[in-house]
Amino acid sequence: MKKIKVNLTVNGKEFTLEVGPKERLLDTLRERLKLTGVKEGCGIGECGACTVILNGEAVNSCLVLTGQLDGSEVITVEGLEVEGRLDPLQQAFIDHHAVQCGFCTPGMLMSARALLDKNPHPNREEIKRAIEGNLCRCTGYQQIIEAIESVAGKGEEEGADYFEWDPD
Amino acid sequence: MKESAARSGNRQGTSGGDFKDCFRPEDYFTASKYFAPESLKEAVEILEGYGGDLKVLAGGTDLLVEYYERLYEVKGWLDLKNIPGLKEIKVFEDRIEIGPLVTHTELEKSENIKEYYPVLNRAAADVGSPQIRNRGTIGGNIITASPAGDLLAPLMAYDAEFKLVSTRGERIVPVGQFFTGPKRTIISSNEILSRIIIPLPGERTYGSWCKVGKRKALIISSITLALVVKFNKERVIKDIRACLGAVAPTPVEIKEVRKRARGKRIEDLNFSELGELVAERISPIDDIRGTAEYRRDVAREIMINALEEIAEKAAE
Repeated sequence: MKKIKVNLTVNGKEFTLEVGPKERLLDTLRERLKLTGVKEGCGIGECGACTVILNGEAVNSCLVLTGQLDGSEVITVEGLEVEGRLDPLQQAFIDHHAVQCGFCTPGMLMSARALLDKNPHPNREEIKRAIEGNLCRCTGYQQIIEAIESVAGKGEEEGADYFEWDPD
Repeated sequence: MKESAARSGNRQGTSGGDFKDCFRPEDYFTASKYFAPESLKEAVEILEGYGGDLKVLAGGTDLLVEYYERLYEVKGWLDLKNIPGLKEIKVFEDRIEIGPLVTHTELEKSENIKEYYPVLNRAAADVGSPQIRNRGTIGGNIITASPAGDLLAPLMAYDAEFKLVSTRGERIVPVGQFFTGPKRTIISSNEILSRIIIPLPGERTYGSWCKVGKRKALIISSITLALVVKFNKERVIKDIRACLGAVAPTPVEIKEVRKRARGKRIEDLNFSELGELVAERISPIDDIRGTAEYRRDVAREIMINALEEIAEKAAE
């Protein structure tokens, strides 16, 4: 039995953990740090429910060993809210009815956040590509894409066009 | 006893209910070792000492899927992450060397890979999902050696070579000799893949990439095709590589295409005939991702499309 010492920043807080060699980041977050917003769906990188942002990149936390992460920074869905204020993406998901059963939502939000952090004004194709690793079994993709678009500063205008009277 | 405990620790612990009763972090620790050496020399010494007992760990996106529900079988990890140089893409006069820990996302974003090996670049962009591409590596894709590994046909089409190191020295193996079967390669249990070496393709080289799967994202390929064609100044084909994935036990090159096409202009080739040739020479199987018959049909069509695409690019 060997433990690995890992310094990890999670949602801005620093932790020093001693983890086993086979502990997945998903388990560290859920079981040790009680961040149960991180969901386990498939456990094999297919569904994206466990998506977190690791050093600026979206990853499946079920496919990452915590022992590898000394010095890393992790953001989970719990880290999106700042001083009681929801992240604009979270508010947009509410406003656009992008949450149905809610199980995929934390992962969807993290994939979307990772995209917007790198590319604040993605087009629809870029949004679709950013969430291609996240499954929504309620199949509410349309609303999810619209929610992300609205934060990307593109959706509002397109939505308005729909209601405009076009005599031609 | 220990094994079943580890299993319940891994899985049931997160499947709801009062997991305090069944989640035992200590289950993860049973008889497992973790090494993260800071040099390749140290790494191969550790590997030599433990032989096949250690799993060499890069991004983990294949290993943690393969060992899902049987992590208890893994006796230990040799993590390559602290070894300097394994994450680099280096350009030399005649070649590019890619470190095994370069991720698919990095291959997708690298200007050098885009410029010199567009087929590899596009294949990397088609791997899994952003989450997988951010973590999964080129070295992992090679060592996993899935017949459907997306980077393998492109590496073959660009004549890549793999540098393998052990305590006894190093050897360089061409991609065509590396894969021996589904998930099997010639690498020994005491060797580490330390570099992927690809010759620079030179001017007037064009490529085409096609991945066919049941959906666009997060799909194991039903069939892949990497076609790379080199022309001389007179627009005559100097060399051509038609390489396919998921249609045989290993990635394959259809060498007869070379024999038929070399020395000719692309507009003088009979594309349907070459498509038919590719369909004949592959040895696909029926599986959940498609029947053999389907794969032959698709192979023919994507070969024709690829030739058309290259003819168009070369004409510009």
